[in-house]
Amino acid sequence: MNSVVPKMRGLCGAIAAAVLALSSTGALAQEKTLRIAMTAADIPRTLGQPDQGFEGNRFTGIPMYDSLTQWDLSKADAASVLIPGLATSWAVDAKDKTKWVFKLRPGVKFHDGSELNADAVVWNARKVLDKDAPQFDASQVGVTASRMPTLRSAKKIDNLTVELTTSEPDSFLPINLTNLFMASPTHWEAKLKAVPASVTDPAERAKQAWTAFAADASGSGPFKMTKFVPRERLELAANKTYWDAKRVPKIDKVVMIPMPEANSRTAALLSGQVDWIEAPAPDAVPQITQRGFKLYTNAQPHVWPWQLSFAPGSPWLDIKVRHAANLCVDREGLKTMLGGMMAVPKGTVPPGHPWWGNPKFDIKYDVKAAQALMTQAGYSAAKPMKVKVQVSASGSGQMQPLPMNEFVQQSLKQCYIDVQLDVIEWNTLFTNWRKGVKDPSANGSDAINVSFAAMDPFFAMVRFVSTKTFPPVSNNWGYYGTPELDGLIADARTSFDDKSRDVALAKLHARIVEESPFIWIAHDVGPRAMSAKVKNVVQPRSWFIDIATMTMD
Amino acid sequence: MQHAGVDLAKVPALRFERSAGYWETVLRRFGRDRLALFAALVILALLGLALFGGWLAPADPYATSMLKRLKPIGFAGHPLGTDELGRDMLTRLMVGTRLSLFMGITPVVLAFVAGSVLGVVAGYAGGPLNTVIMRTVDVFYAFPSVLLAIALSGALGAGITNSLISLTIVFIPPIARVAESVTTQVRNRDFVEAARASGANAFTIVRVHVLGNVLSPIFVYATSLIAVSMILASGLSFLGLGVRPPEPEWGLMLNTLRTAIYAQPWVAALPGAMIFITSIAFNLLSDGLRSAMDIKS
Amino acid sequence: MLTYLLRRVLYALPIMLGVALVCFALVHIAPGDPLVSILPPDASADLQAQLRELYGFNKPLPVQFAGWVWRALHGDLGTSIASGRAVGTEVLRAVGNTLMLAAVATLIGFFFGSLFGFVAGYFRNSWVDRTASLLSVLGVSVPHYWLGMVLVIVFSSQLMWLPASGAGPGGSGEWVWDLEHVQFLILPAITMSVIPMGIIARTVRALVADILGQEFIVGLRAKGLTHLGVFAHVVKNAAPTALAVMGLQLGYLLGGSILIETVFSWPGTGFLLNSAIFQRDLPLLQGTILVLAMFFVVLNLVVDVVQTLLDPRIARA
Repeated sequence: MNSVVPKMRGLCGAIAAAVLALSSTGALAQEKTLRIAMTAADIPRTLGQPDQGFEGNRFTGIPMYDSLTQWDLSKADAASVLIPGLATSWAVDAKDKTKWVFKLRPGVKFHDGSELNADAVVWNARKVLDKDAPQFDASQVGVTASRMPTLRSAKKIDNLTVELTTSEPDSFLPINLTNLFMASPTHWEAKLKAVPASVTDPAERAKQAWTAFAADASGSGPFKMTKFVPRERLELAANKTYWDAKRVPKIDKVVMIPMPEANSRTAALLSGQVDWIEAPAPDAVPQITQRGFKLYTNAQPHVWPWQLSFAPGSPWLDIKVRHAANLCVDREGLKTMLGGMMAVPKGTVPPGHPWWGNPKFDIKYDVKAAQALMTQAGYSAAKPMKVKVQVSASGSGQMQPLPMNEFVQQSLKQCYIDVQLDVIEWNTLFTNWRKGVKDPSANGSDAINVSFAAMDPFFAMVRFVSTKTFPPVSNNWGYYGTPELDGLIADARTSFDDKSRDVALAKLHARIVEESPFIWIAHDVGPRAMSAKVKNVVQPRSWFIDIATMTMD
Repeated sequence: MQHAGVDLAKVPALRFERSAGYWETVLRRFGRDRLALFAALVILALLGLALFGGWLAPADPYATSMLKRLKPIGFAGHPLGTDELGRDMLTRLMVGTRLSLFMGITPVVLAFVAGSVLGVVAGYAGGPLNTVIMRTVDVFYAFPSVLLAIALSGALGAGITNSLISLTIVFIPPIARVAESVTTQVRNRDFVEAARASGANAFTIVRVHVLGNVLSPIFVYATSLIAVSMILASGLSFLGLGVRPPEPEWGLMLNTLRTAIYAQPWVAALPGAMIFITSIAFNLLSDGLRSAMDIKS
Repeated sequence: MLTYLLRRVLYALPIMLGVALVCFALVHIAPGDPLVSILPPDASADLQAQLRELYGFNKPLPVQFAGWVWRALHGDLGTSIASGRAVGTEVLRAVGNTLMLAAVATLIGFFFGSLFGFVAGYFRNSWVDRTASLLSVLGVSVPHYWLGMVLVIVFSSQLMWLPASGAGPGGSGEWVWDLEHVQFLILPAITMSVIPMGIIARTVRALVADILGQEFIVGLRAKGLTHLGVFAHVVKNAAPTALAVMGLQLGYLLGGSILIETVFSWPGTGFLLNSAIFQRDLPLLQGTILVLAMFFVVLNLVVDVVQTLLDPRIARA
């Protein structure tokens, strides 16, 4: 029986156990159910384009839907790279580099039985790109269009071939397409028909159709939705006719429950109410492992930095100071403080990653060298450099922001850097990040602490170092950029062969580390705690994890 | 005086026949109340800590050490253990007295002043002025206090000043209601009528006859709000609003230590114990004052 | 009497409007982008402007306020930006869940509070009074959400007697009043009951002490009224105010449940508010606060009216 069976004592317990036994259905005794507690406060959107950041993609994106390309989540000891998804192959047109041809996998069906073909792909592209399409949904545009900034349109060539057009030659497109999930047009059309005729405005009809779709979704992924209680639980059942035999789920049922409070999640795991919790509180981990639960961690493409200001007058304009700061953070000490739950960074990506590039500046902990650099720059213990950093008290991906920032504050003190922390609310920090250091919301700060995902080149590097991504266009908060870097970016963007693209990106990364527009402080390790009953768990070096290949005792 | 909604059990009855020995009697009655005396002593001790904690404390409340994180009570050099950043708990609890009491007392004091002014003016003036003031007060009173505090703090942002502002605003309506209610009762008494008939101006009447009678019940009611204020302030820091780290404040400490409850439950409970002791002391003090002033002839 | 009642009801109307205004103002003063839940920070300025227009956030504030109030009067509280679901349905469902929790908590609090309060008032100024008063004050002297966390750790993680969170094994949608579901209610309800318990105990104590101290009680006793008779008399006189306070405590719990519901992941209005605040979901935030505040205004009104009907001396100026 997979429902909660708490250990009970005494008469009260016996009665309760009897009632429970009577009320449970014996027929389900063999069904394997995996119960997951997420950190989100609400169930991420289930209509195909999840919100709540990558936790959304992890739980209501990849399990329920597929995309043209996907991340390889099968290996724990190598970087997670791009592999074919719904598309078996793709190539850019030799003459017009803004056109791509994608060949689709035959025989794929949506959960409602309809065929996943070129029409479906075009329909899904239009739901976020074409304002005049009946299925256009403004609320999905935000999370998709920003991750595929150059995609402009899609066109059917034949039943299994699609042509995608970009606004400019962009070799990053296949990587970006991991964010476009395919929802079933047939199923959506049925929902649209079911909207009462009294609603006449087409946009309003579409909105209601999408809301109905979210409550009864149909994708093509390894799991299909069976029950949806807003804010409380999402239940998925295995899709036994999934197109990838290796990923047909062996777990029959998955239940996802939002539990934003870390202590509640820990209690839920320890009391047997759930089998898997995301992000256990680091201090609870010893208790959790002591009780026989398993902790899974792996280095993630996640960067926890201080992003520095290059506005006129900023103390960070001197490269000596930037290097000194990077040499003055006791990262191993920070790792001890976090109970081992972080990876020590050498740059944005780790050595061994295809984009590593062998930078000549080695990021390590060397106080003497840092002090020497600071002295050269004109600072001393009596005359320290004063900086102000905007940080938050919490937030997705921010790990333990307050203790970590205070730790860095202490660390930098040794190298004549006086740090003042400006603690603001997470959403506000996020918004300020978009506005940039020259906006009054920056409140006189010289650095900002916002963590980010480093899975694709634009997100990992380009948006922080290009002169074309200054606010409000994108997140180059510090207004950092040089013609040299712009050139390297353009090279990478126009290298359409995977190998040469990676080489170009490696050159870019090496230069970024050498120029140090960041202080690299930590990589998250995506800790999750699970019951020992869950087997075959592979945590890749990715923000995502594949539930479909797991089994349960 | 049966206004539901305001905890009227905390408001002592009005006394008009002030004989010469009234305050002496109150003080004597209070002195015989052992529990209330004990509470008063505890509060004096806390106030002492608030003033002198900085000098008396054994260590630096801001000195972190990641090697000495979450050490238990009785650890060498740290009699009450260390917190999640390795700081000495005993020191932080002592030094935290200042900010914690500040967050508890200041909003109530400010609300006492503002609320009394509003309530007395409304109660004495009566008529349309009363209606305008009290209806506005009622609008804010319509929001449950936790909700209002969170909404205001959310709107203004985190930080001590903003929390003080939102907590003060939360406490003004109940105090104003009590003030208006007791003032209305006094206003209708004969001696006030007589004073008005004799031609004294409103300001004098209020000062001489009204204030002396109404301030004490309002004051006692206000002291019962101090514990509530401390706990509300702690609730705000639970949500990331309120006092910001690394300031030592019991409510904030309770929250930053909450995930350490699995690793060091007793240490994590210490700030809660301090809030507990302080709240009970203020509640008992306020009860004692009210009892002492409830002299039946 | 009737004119008083009518006036009292009429007075509530401008208050409701004031409440709506304050609610709207509070939500819009907050810094941060209302579209942050559907617009990641890397979105372009065009995209932001486009969405802002689609959602009507580029209109001047008074226009937005008027539109919101007008639609609210017709029962349409708008749609949540983050989820796309109607605010009205979500809030109503959440109110139902919180009401369930708050009602049970109030009943527990009322029972123990009255018990302690009666005992304290009956034996007033004795050690029994002190003990009972102290016990009832314990609950209001500790942050109750923290008490909740401690209870969860003791009874869920360590003893494993009760579940840690949620509203039933299948969610609140399939709530049934059986042990399997009620066990989810026990810890949050106990945690929530400590505050009403403290306040009701204090009120009842004061009432009982007051009634028993009145001269006619001495007279009744002299006439030979038994203890039971005195008890019945006290209850009859204390009941209206005590019940009024209980009613208002229910309202207070309804509005102040956010912290406890966050700890226990109880899908009520507090939980809704928490995620609405976190996601800056303006329509949801406005709608929820408005419903809660209106509930409180109406509750206040009902209690005032009922009290006045029972005891006309109470009528406010």
